[in-house]
Amino acid sequence: MVIDDVHKWLGKNHILRGVNMSVAPGEIVCVLGPSGSGKSTLLRCINGLEAVESGTVEVGGDRVGYKMHKGQLFEHTERESARMRRRIGMVFQHFNLFTHMTALENVSYGPRRVLGLSKAKAKEQGLDALGKVGLKDKAGSYPAQLSGGQQQRVAIARSLAMKPQVMLFDEPTSALDPELVGDVLQVMKRVAEEGMTMVVVTHEIGFAREVADRVIFMDEGRVIESGPAAQVLDNPSHERTANFLRHVR
Amino acid sequence: MTILDPTRASHGHAPGIQAKRRKPYGQMATGTLIVAIAALFVWSQAANENLDWSSVGEFMFHPVIFKGIAVTLELSVFSMLISVVLAFGVALMCQSKNRLAAVVGRLYVWFFRGVPLLVQILIWFNLAVLFPKILGADTNQLISGFTAGLCALSLAESGYMAEIIRGGILSVSKGQTDAGLSIGLTRGQALRRIVLPQTIRVIIPPTGNQFIGLLKASSLVSAIGGSDLLTQTQLIYGQNFKIVPLLIVATAWYLILVSVASIGQYFLEQKFSPDGAATRRPFRELIRRNVLLRNHPDLPRKAVQP
Repeated sequence: MVIDDVHKWLGKNHILRGVNMSVAPGEIVCVLGPSGSGKSTLLRCINGLEAVESGTVEVGGDRVGYKMHKGQLFEHTERESARMRRRIGMVFQHFNLFTHMTALENVSYGPRRVLGLSKAKAKEQGLDALGKVGLKDKAGSYPAQLSGGQQQRVAIARSLAMKPQVMLFDEPTSALDPELVGDVLQVMKRVAEEGMTMVVVTHEIGFAREVADRVIFMDEGRVIESGPAAQVLDNPSHERTANFLRHVR
Repeated sequence: MTILDPTRASHGHAPGIQAKRRKPYGQMATGTLIVAIAALFVWSQAANENLDWSSVGEFMFHPVIFKGIAVTLELSVFSMLISVVLAFGVALMCQSKNRLAAVVGRLYVWFFRGVPLLVQILIWFNLAVLFPKILGADTNQLISGFTAGLCALSLAESGYMAEIIRGGILSVSKGQTDAGLSIGLTRGQALRRIVLPQTIRVIIPPTGNQFIGLLKASSLVSAIGGSDLLTQTQLIYGQNFKIVPLLIVATAWYLILVSVASIGQYFLEQKFSPDGAATRRPFRELIRRNVLLRNHPDLPRKAVQP
């Protein structure tokens, strides 16, 4: 995954001001930074939920949102962007489980409707994904019957069931009660250990230290610092990073 | 000396508070007043010879009245169905990124909500003046009292329903669309399969209210002889001049129809309550609880996440 000089405006706000980063297959990258620094927007641009104004985002060698055809750049059609997004899983801060479906329906909906698996195969894949997050017994529960932590684990399973190349996590534990955070981080750790490529926006410094191959610090729409977790977290070379870490701790 | 809470006292849990109860003079006065007024009203009716109860009985189940009831029901049900279909289209237009579609949608709602229903009914009935022929057919042949009423009711209702449905769509959080997109749905698919099914739950209760309103509004069709319940009533009293007894018949039937619709609405609301998924109960249990009035232990409820 390569992100090259990406700029993004929302209205008059210049949210991303030239972001450069790359993530190797299987790499786990944690993105830290104060709120409003453009972390979430960056994730939304990576899977094409938001279009970028300039620069390029590439995932698995394909450019997000555009394609080259006979030397001319074309905007993706709705269908093409959907095809691109299915390769990129996303986990949201507020879970966003489909409230009118059970946990199993949530998880097997993508495989069934988007990947076109048979009903039985989709169910099997869904149960498999629920098993990975330890919620096989909640298959028949509706989101409103689950705790926040369980909902987020189902949301992770929903993404996993699509067998994506990359998974993006947008502050997955920020909306959870403190005692539920651990379960979700545990599940994310397991996903990481299975070799998934992950970009995690988080405030959980402990998780970043333990799991991340690399930590990126963002501020005011730019990558300020990037490097191995231990280096960025314990020995930040930039004043703003050090300042932020002091506040988080 | 009165024991304020005899049930508690008799259970022996607590001695009860030993205090003299105050007399509710205000409540006594209101009660007396209400009973007096009600008695006056009943006496004025019972003693009134113009109110011919035997005629009410005679016409209550008259075939002409039944025909009117059938037409009233047809008008209400069909125009509700047509208006819901139209309203979905208009609501989506209003939400569209296409500016022209959005403006046209807003204009549609503005017009059909703004013009009084009776005026709309009269316009449709007099369409022949504007277009003497439609698709080669004589307009006056095509537009009967019924069809004019159906068109007017459907279109006027669709204006209101469009707003209700638009509100329903807006009530589904944007995150639902994002999540749908993130598993590879297109925007259209996310709208159809994720957002709209959740909209249904939100719009069911107000739609029930609209239907009850429509049931009553359909009586306006009598202005053009739409052969609905009120038209038929007028037809009979136009001949025998028993105006009040027949209006009582119409009143009774409208109340019955509205009551039945209200009961239906109640069940629909229960079944599609906003946190319906969490508290969905089998229909049999609903009957037990709401019709047979039997209690049963509440299912555990969890708060819905924001």
